Amino acid sequence: MATNKVVDLRSDTVTKPSDAMRAAMAAAEVDDDVRSADPTARRFQEAMAAIMGKEAALFVPSGTMGNLVSVLAHCDVRGSEVILGDGSHIHLCENGGISTIGGVHPKTVRNNADGTMDIDRIVAAIRPPGGGLYYPTTRLICLENTHGNSGGKCLSVEYTDKVGEIAKSHGLKLHIDGARIFNASVALGVPVDRLVKAADSVSVCLSKGLGAPVGSVIVGSKAFIDKAKILRKTLGGGMRQVGVLCAAAHVAVRDTVGKLADDHRKAKALAEGLNKIEQFTVDSASVETNMVFMDIVDSRISSAKLCQVLGTHNVLANPRSPKSVRLVLHYQISDTDVQYAVTCFKKAVEELLKGSTEFEHLVDTTTKNSYGH
Amino acid sequence: MASKVVDLRSDTVTKPSEAMRSAMAAADVDDDVLGSDPTAQRFEAEMAAIMGKEAAFFVPSGTMGNLISVLVHCDVRGSEAILGDNSHIHVYENGGISTIGGVHPRTVPNNPDGTMDIDKIVAAIRHPDLHYPTTRLICLENTHGNSGGKCLSVEYTDMVGEIAKSHGLKLHIDGARIFNASVALGVPVDRLVKAADSVSVCLSKGLGAPVGSVIVGSKAFIDKAKILRKTLGGGMRQVGVLCAAAHVAVRETVGKLADDHRKAKVLAGSVV
Repeated sequence: MATNKVVDLRSDTVTKPSDAMRAAMAAAEVDDDVRSADPTARRFQEAMAAIMGKEAALFVPSGTMGNLVSVLAHCDVRGSEVILGDGSHIHLCENGGISTIGGVHPKTVRNNADGTMDIDRIVAAIRPPGGGLYYPTTRLICLENTHGNSGGKCLSVEYTDKVGEIAKSHGLKLHIDGARIFNASVALGVPVDRLVKAADSVSVCLSKGLGAPVGSVIVGSKAFIDKAKILRKTLGGGMRQVGVLCAAAHVAVRDTVGKLADDHRKAKALAEGLNKIEQFTVDSASVETNMVFMDIVDSRISSAKLCQVLGTHNVLANPRSPKSVRLVLHYQISDTDVQYAVTCFKKAVEELLKGSTEFEHLVDTTTKNSYGH
Repeated sequence: MASKVVDLRSDTVTKPSEAMRSAMAAADVDDDVLGSDPTAQRFEAEMAAIMGKEAAFFVPSGTMGNLISVLVHCDVRGSEAILGDNSHIHVYENGGISTIGGVHPRTVPNNPDGTMDIDKIVAAIRHPDLHYPTTRLICLENTHGNSGGKCLSVEYTDMVGEIAKSHGLKLHIDGARIFNASVALGVPVDRLVKAADSVSVCLSKGLGAPVGSVIVGSKAFIDKAKILRKTLGGGMRQVGVLCAAAHVAVRETVGKLADDHRKAKVLAGSVV
């Protein structure tokens, strides 16, 4: 059945380029994009700007660079501070780059289980304009939609608009880390441009569930993108005949957005299947998009050992913590794969509970690959 | 004939060949951030071997290659790097080593042949003092762009390497066009850069790949460099699509560089 096939549930970043993407890459009309001359990059960026309802767009090698460029462009005066969630990807999984590279200070606000930050806590975190002697200057608020560390939760358009109003009334900018913004748009049934209307900038991943091999896109005003271009060059993200990547990304947006609803359905099916295993518990109602957080309720089983044993059955997963596992669905995981994965989880539990000596060598620590991408 | 554009602005305008396009379309790929893109791994291993260093890895641009290299060698606050006043890093990389990396530049005049006088390099090295940053790195550029693509000889490079070593400094070579230098000098590229702790090599210029450069150095250096690359936003997923084209470039275009040098001479000779 799925003997040699590997069912990779570690992340939606593992999606491989489709045949259509490969053909598009091979046939792409290209030129030197550092001179803004690559026609495929130009066409793709224009299309993304239109889709997202912003003036302009810029292709970057990664979501990390998309967020870094955005924060640095909005906070280009020394002594800046940015408000963001304490569970956000920018704060936890981007090497602290906004500070170590960009000199911007973070002010974290607690993320709720649904991915939001309380509005009154955001307002309380804004530095008073008169307190300059002791305080950095707040210039930016960042949201993340869908919110990865909350399990792919969607921020509603009402919430986003409200945070946008707070930002505007305090003279701040709003950036959305929209790595999985299309998942949010599909799950909420809100057109993506409406969803991000309140934002000054958005970073959108093409290489996750949409399946492109490489890249993200930043969208915003023309003035913002002009600044972003220079920052991108400075960080080393200026690529030459980059149309080869934009061609694949364009196919991704065209072909895969329509498949995201299926990923959400499969995530729910996986959650329900795992919930039936008594050693695990999954809050199926909290599965809003393509992520499942599964908790281990049996004290004899650790997430690290579980993932290692799953690996022997060709199911790849990463621990989220010593007692929980994160699973991410994407269009290259079929319904059959989902059923196979559930079966393997059952088998893994049996093998681990047998107390078999062959697992004694497994070290009970979270693997070095546990992360929050 | 009338429609063809003869683009002499730069060797960055090279478009990917048919062989490169096929290689990109057929590349065996995986998530390189998780450390597992086989095409990237194969290409990086080959580049390390070609350059005579322990390890290599792929970055989106020469600017990032130089930026990472400087920042890894100068990862302690208060560092200074010695480089030519007419070097690409100093003039055309947005001052990133400072604005992004917090590293101070100490320039030494570049001679018309691309070198810096040895005694001026030595004079620029800081001794410990309350007022001074700490010199940690010397950067050379080979071929030297702003001098007209001049080659630094292996003897000169070795001499600068000895200066660096005897003062406890590292040596980085901006080798965007190092293959041009190797071909023009008739010196194998690994011998040419032997004295360097790290080299940044462009695939997207005369070698013709669509995107990218490679940094080479010790394994310890590359391990640090990987984290910086991620931090700067250069960690790409199924990057084998780009490495496949770069691999074709190294395999097929290095042998054509001598012809580019011949054509440059012809062009120069015909301009009266």
